[in-house]
Amino acid sequence: MRRLLLSACLVVCSIAIFSGSAFSLPPIQRFVLDNGLVLLISEEHSLPFITFQFIVKTGSKDDPPGQEGLASLSASSLPLGCAGRTTQQIHEELDFMGAAISSGANEDYTAISLRALRKNVDRAFPIVMDILTVPTFPVQEVKKEISRTLGAIQSSEDQPGVVAEKAFEKALYNGGPYGHPTEGTRESVAKLNREMVSAFHRTYYHPNNTIVVVVGDVDDGLLKKEIRPMLEKWQRKAVPQWKGRTPSPGKGRTVKIDKPVTQSNIVIGSTGMSRDNPDYYAAQVMNYIFGGGSLSSRLMEDIRNKRGLAYSVSSYFQAQKNSGSFEVLLQTKTASTNESIAAVMEDVGVIRAELVSQAEIEDAKKYLVGSFPQRFSSQSKITSFFGQVEYYGLGLEYPKEYPSLINSVTREDVLRIARTYLNPDCFITVVVSDLEAAQGK
Amino acid sequence: MGRVSKRASFSCILLILAGAFCLLAPVHASAALSDRVSETTLSNGLKVILLENHKAPLVTFQVWYKVGSRNEAWGKTGLSHMLEHMMFKGTKNVGPGEFSRTIEQNGGDDNAFTSNDFTAYFENLSADRVTIPISLESDRMGGLFLREEEFKPERSVVMEERRLRTDDNPGAVLMEQTNAAAFQVQPYHWPVIGWMQDITRFTIEDLREYYHSYYRPANAVVVVVGDFKKEMVLPLIERAFGAIPGGNAPDQQRNMEEPQLGERRIVVKKEAQLASVVKAYHVPNVKERDGYVLEVIEALLSAGESSRLNRLLVREKQLALAVGADNELLSRDPNLFTISAEVMPGKTSDDVEKALVGEIERLQRELVSARELEKAKNQLESEFVYSQDSLFYQGMILATYEVVSTWKDVDKYVPGIRSVSAEDVRLTARKYLVPANCTTGVLVPIPSANPKPIQPGSPSRENIVR
Repeated sequence: MRRLLLSACLVVCSIAIFSGSAFSLPPIQRFVLDNGLVLLISEEHSLPFITFQFIVKTGSKDDPPGQEGLASLSASSLPLGCAGRTTQQIHEELDFMGAAISSGANEDYTAISLRALRKNVDRAFPIVMDILTVPTFPVQEVKKEISRTLGAIQSSEDQPGVVAEKAFEKALYNGGPYGHPTEGTRESVAKLNREMVSAFHRTYYHPNNTIVVVVGDVDDGLLKKEIRPMLEKWQRKAVPQWKGRTPSPGKGRTVKIDKPVTQSNIVIGSTGMSRDNPDYYAAQVMNYIFGGGSLSSRLMEDIRNKRGLAYSVSSYFQAQKNSGSFEVLLQTKTASTNESIAAVMEDVGVIRAELVSQAEIEDAKKYLVGSFPQRFSSQSKITSFFGQVEYYGLGLEYPKEYPSLINSVTREDVLRIARTYLNPDCFITVVVSDLEAAQGK
Repeated sequence: MGRVSKRASFSCILLILAGAFCLLAPVHASAALSDRVSETTLSNGLKVILLENHKAPLVTFQVWYKVGSRNEAWGKTGLSHMLEHMMFKGTKNVGPGEFSRTIEQNGGDDNAFTSNDFTAYFENLSADRVTIPISLESDRMGGLFLREEEFKPERSVVMEERRLRTDDNPGAVLMEQTNAAAFQVQPYHWPVIGWMQDITRFTIEDLREYYHSYYRPANAVVVVVGDFKKEMVLPLIERAFGAIPGGNAPDQQRNMEEPQLGERRIVVKKEAQLASVVKAYHVPNVKERDGYVLEVIEALLSAGESSRLNRLLVREKQLALAVGADNELLSRDPNLFTISAEVMPGKTSDDVEKALVGEIERLQRELVSARELEKAKNQLESEFVYSQDSLFYQGMILATYEVVSTWKDVDKYVPGIRSVSAEDVRLTARKYLVPANCTTGVLVPIPSANPKPIQPGSPSRENIVR
């Protein structure tokens, strides 16, 4: 089989990342096909099914101005028809096999996923290849997809957290390519049409712009017979370079949105970093201590455990390909809106003023390094892990490097990150709330 | 159905799981899950269920208590969930918050969730750390410190959780109201998180009494799935948990719903963008064969894009933005089969309800074709295989079956599904999915101005920052 790979580069990686616990990574093979497609394979045979993920390197950051939502609509329109099949036929066939597909876009990339029993892959995989490479985008079906999207946008206005997040991104990214909701707005989506979808597909959906990750009950035979030949038939075409510019962030301010709800949904944050920023790992450590997922973060201890102000309070760095944000999210009853914001600002003040304790930084490192193997606890997690490693260019050695990237972070690094990225002067604060009630205490 | 309520919102796996739970049915016919499971009951009555799975060097450790909202009394609704929160506040050996901190220091994740029927605690971590949850979980089963100073703020946290999950979520309010109308006698009448007024009146004494009644070895199940050797782990569990005094298993007998005497309708008027309709029918659970037939009906109606409701209401007629059917198979007491739809802008809930009823009547009138029946069964069986992917789900399936009936019944699922005939589908639809057995809930949006940012200069704008 290797003789057939021609220009393919092959890396097999199986590394113990803990000296103490002999943890081994899932095996991973990487091939670059002649048409530029990157293929990642991880075999695991305990269950008779396979998870596929196609990552096409285009997302809402590539939406043309005035056509916000186009990347997302293009992704969701893929299964509406393909060479020789209507949407009903596509779904009927896949459903009959018990196969599941999904397709959608985020800011950076488009993901098309297939999960199928191994015995059905020879029938399911070609359908997904057709959806991806020769979609027909029937005009009536695309129209329906547009109405559904408009309905979903309207429905999402019932979720105060979503309303707050959209307002935050709009204010932060200030009209730039990351500034609009992935699914578009009521105004922009209403203007989209089949021709735009088809043109978007022609521009970006090419093998040299695609990563394919295959995880599970896959082997050389299946790869050689069913998967590689179909991928190799896909013709390479030029893909435009991303020319987007991220405008300077909107300046610090408060945005208030009135909504008849019992809680205030609050987002506080500012510009963060892109995924390739060398500060990324120090930022992960800082954030874990400050408000990252843990139940024992400072925000959780202070705002939830001590003051009982919120059920959920957390912070995170959203690090994207070309941009990023730092955000604190919380919900609290309207009467404690100002108190909660003040508490967050107090905690920001402390982490900017003082070094974190030795115990805190050690706990953070123990968690971040020690929990790494959990990223491989299911096929879908393994699939998305390797897809992102490839998309963000982290390299297959990344799992091996991760512990030292985290362990080399110092308390001084944490302080520097806090002072750089948690700058109250630049904070954009969004409050979605029953404003009258929030005001009146 | 929003029945699972958990302690922290930072990971949404459990809610997704709750949604998929109806599909969590069971094993690949060729490899019976239960063949690989071992069960031991300790002398104090604690049941231990072990499943070795060596595909990754990970383990999930879970303790399930057979107590949920069904065990609560009127006026104390939500007490099970409140106690779940307090279980992280320490013992005489472990300080408040130390439980989770210790798990995190060991690279693990821990959390808990409560339903009508159970309260479950779990730790997912590297297999070489399995002793850590064994010692922490046995410690808090052996004795919990309930202190006023931690209880007061935590009760406020739970009130915030209720606002977040239910009060500000029109769909959740509709479901809560529909359940309250469908169940009049049975404790499924009230929500897992409890009525807000009850939450405000909980006392530390309520919690102490509840803990002593239900958090006993004889009312609990320990489930461990992952990369361990039974000969190594079982003695550790026996040593840590075996010394906890057994006591009696609590009385689990609860009131059952009387047969419904005619159709019920409720309306929820609330600020919302879109209308919704839900139709809920009383049905049997996994303990009766009809439960499996209803699984197949659920799949026919809503599994996959080609399913009946998706095809007709969502894609062809564009009456609904989203549809769903949900059979509560794994429920300790008989529960509901629901079909629901979010109405598309410009369409009416009447039209949507007519279409939903039309599909029910079609099930009662026409025999489903052999191919469509086969499709539904294939979907359910594949979903079951897929659900085996994660150690955590494997543990959850075994534990849920154990709470509801016995974990051994997990092997009955695929054969149960496979044995359903087209005639079974028609008879079962005729028996249960009838107006007299139905509670219909309609969410009627109160129109409000679309939310829009306050313009600069308007009186309520203020600059907190800068």
